[in-house]
Amino acid sequence: MALLQISEPGQTTAPHHRNYAAGIDLGTTNSLVAINRSGQVETLPDSNNQHLLPSVVHYAEDSILVGYSALQLQASDPLNTLSSVKRIMGRGIEDIKSLGNILPYEFDGNNDSNVPRIITRQGSVSAIEVSAEILKILSKRAEQTMGEALSGVVITVPAYFDDAQRQATRDAAKLAGLNVYRLLNEPTAAAVAYGLDQQTEEGTIAVYDLGGGTFDISILNLSKGVFEVLATGGNSSLGGDDMDHAIAEWLIKQAGIEGDIDPFMLRQLLIASRKAKEDLTLQETTQIKLKELDYSISLDREQFNHLIEDLVNKTLRSCRRAIRDAKIEKEDIQNVVMVGGSTRVPLVVEQVGHFFGCTPLCDLDPDRVVAIGAALQADVLAGNKPDQEMLLLDVLPLSLCIETMGGLSEKIISRNSPLPVARAQEFTTFKDGQTAMAIHVVQGERELVTDCRSLAHFELRGIPPMTAGSARIKVTYQVDADGLMSVIAEELRSGIKADIVIKPSYGLTDGEVESMLRDSMSHAKEDIDSRMLAEQQVEARRVIEAIDSALSQDGHELLADDEYNSITTARDELEKLIPEATTEQLKKAIKNIEVISDNYVAKRMNASVQKVLSGKNINEVEI
Amino acid sequence: MPIDFHLDSKQLHAAHLKLQAVYHPDRFINGTDQEKRLVVQKAAWINEAYEILKNPVRRARYMLEISGLELNDDHETTSDTAFLMEQIELREEMDECRSCKDPMRCCDHITGKLDQRSKEFSSSFISLYQQGYLEQARQVSKKMQFVERILEQLDEYQLKLEDDIL
Repeated sequence: MALLQISEPGQTTAPHHRNYAAGIDLGTTNSLVAINRSGQVETLPDSNNQHLLPSVVHYAEDSILVGYSALQLQASDPLNTLSSVKRIMGRGIEDIKSLGNILPYEFDGNNDSNVPRIITRQGSVSAIEVSAEILKILSKRAEQTMGEALSGVVITVPAYFDDAQRQATRDAAKLAGLNVYRLLNEPTAAAVAYGLDQQTEEGTIAVYDLGGGTFDISILNLSKGVFEVLATGGNSSLGGDDMDHAIAEWLIKQAGIEGDIDPFMLRQLLIASRKAKEDLTLQETTQIKLKELDYSISLDREQFNHLIEDLVNKTLRSCRRAIRDAKIEKEDIQNVVMVGGSTRVPLVVEQVGHFFGCTPLCDLDPDRVVAIGAALQADVLAGNKPDQEMLLLDVLPLSLCIETMGGLSEKIISRNSPLPVARAQEFTTFKDGQTAMAIHVVQGERELVTDCRSLAHFELRGIPPMTAGSARIKVTYQVDADGLMSVIAEELRSGIKADIVIKPSYGLTDGEVESMLRDSMSHAKEDIDSRMLAEQQVEARRVIEAIDSALSQDGHELLADDEYNSITTARDELEKLIPEATTEQLKKAIKNIEVISDNYVAKRMNASVQKVLSGKNINEVEI
Repeated sequence: MPIDFHLDSKQLHAAHLKLQAVYHPDRFINGTDQEKRLVVQKAAWINEAYEILKNPVRRARYMLEISGLELNDDHETTSDTAFLMEQIELREEMDECRSCKDPMRCCDHITGKLDQRSKEFSSSFISLYQQGYLEQARQVSKKMQFVERILEQLDEYQLKLEDDIL
């Protein structure tokens, strides 16, 4: 029980059982799963010994195909074969239009949800459901390999992902029936994979992640097993695909192709460009052949470098900004970790090395390094390494703002604040008897709300009626360790908690997630109600166990008699309820015990702060 | 309890990590929902404390606050005209950097001036605070805030310059 953890950090509830926990890299083009197999963390292959699973899902008449089998059908049945859905996770239909024609799907125009749905022959699906299919395959692969169910997973996301995109990833995992320990930033995972946490000396590293379509740069500080993200930056539409485009454009010019280029021709050009790019990783020169045009031309590395120079410089510009954000000097960085297939390009390695003044680390397969790091972290979180002190401290990737008068954004929490973070703000009413108010939360760095990403509209209701300006409403924005936001509002004079109705701008509401879950479960013919009751019963027993063990340790020491008695009364009531109560009744009783014991749990936490801080000087006690 | 403006940032960092090691939500993966909820608040609170103490201006303002001064960031301003003039001049100087022969060095020069000012203000804050002249200390902390803001702007400006050059 975590109440006990306070005195013994790092311990988990079930110390003697080995929990299998996997790391999943849910990528735009490819996905991977890795796990600790008897002491060795490695990515898992499918039955054909393929480690990479193409992030492609095909909706057939009566089945769903994922991976290579789906990829093969992409050309013949493009509308029912969905790929690159990571690009539209947590995005609205307007965003998708602005991405251009990279996703040739038909979107469902008339649905009430604000999550875009793609029309397939099996009905319309959202990116969340498509991702869930990929996650299901990967977790099944892990479970089959290990011969046991997974206790939890760590899923990686780009450091740049905003709240809506992270929430969408979590929802996908929920649909896939996975217990998510943590969403981990991809660069952090990469640093873990290189074992940089094993270094005894404190150090600063950069993680340069150039994938197919995105670029991420992160600056991390490591000291004795603690990873601290100092700053992140990047560009969510910059990657290896742009290199292919650069070559393709050059080809078009060289071959003298004029006028509109049809999609098929463009596809051929891009395939040839991609091959040329890959050839030039090891070769100095390559021959590009365009069969359709009966055209052939050679491209050498120097010319190629020239074509992609701007692109590489753009990434270095982001690096400079991240270094500045981290408030360090370039010289402070000792190591640069290379992640993503595009870091195989020699010019990238060369320029990055030149920029940072050190030889970049690229010994591990840049495609697998993220999944391996995630698996290492999953293993620690599952409690399999009680003596491991690894702790990953992340920061908020984009500032959290609210809309103020005139469509301007006002920063509430600035980017790169360490997570979790909470910030409160006070509002007042501007009309007599006003009982509700609306708040629009956005994420981004720009001054105009329209230039930022809309996250949600909150409506506060149940404000006690007062004269204008006399209500004091405290709104607390909180972002948890995964980078997910929640909001609490309270009227300070009356102490009344305002009801909050959240309308996510591009996400699923809780109700939608639940109904999707129900749908997927009824497919599996599971009895949802009995499963939910069983879950509540387990939770109730856990709560009782926690209370008992805490009370026996310091109940009398920390609590007055009446407080002690009200906790034990509530505990006994809950225990009596377990065998006979309904799910709802149990939920209520657990909630009740939580309210009654809030103060006690807080006291216990404070008591152990004292323990941690004993022997410190006055400066530090100020914390 | 005596409170000191001089703070060993390494020590502060170490203390922060030590607390996070205990209260980070990752340590409560298997906890009850209640514990998870409380520990997120706790960890957020620890982070907030760290952010305040780490930044000299916020640290100074916080010290004034716990000494009983009520501060209002929105409505406070300084009435020291000489100081305001200097700020305006520095801003103008910054805008002129662009047309200068070596804009980066020009910026560095201004940064140096500001750093110097910020050091002066810090030591005057300390001495005023220690003597209990809280109101005067507040005035100085306000100036520290001005200097910090213009340093931030300078930083942004330099970044833009670099982007333009490269």
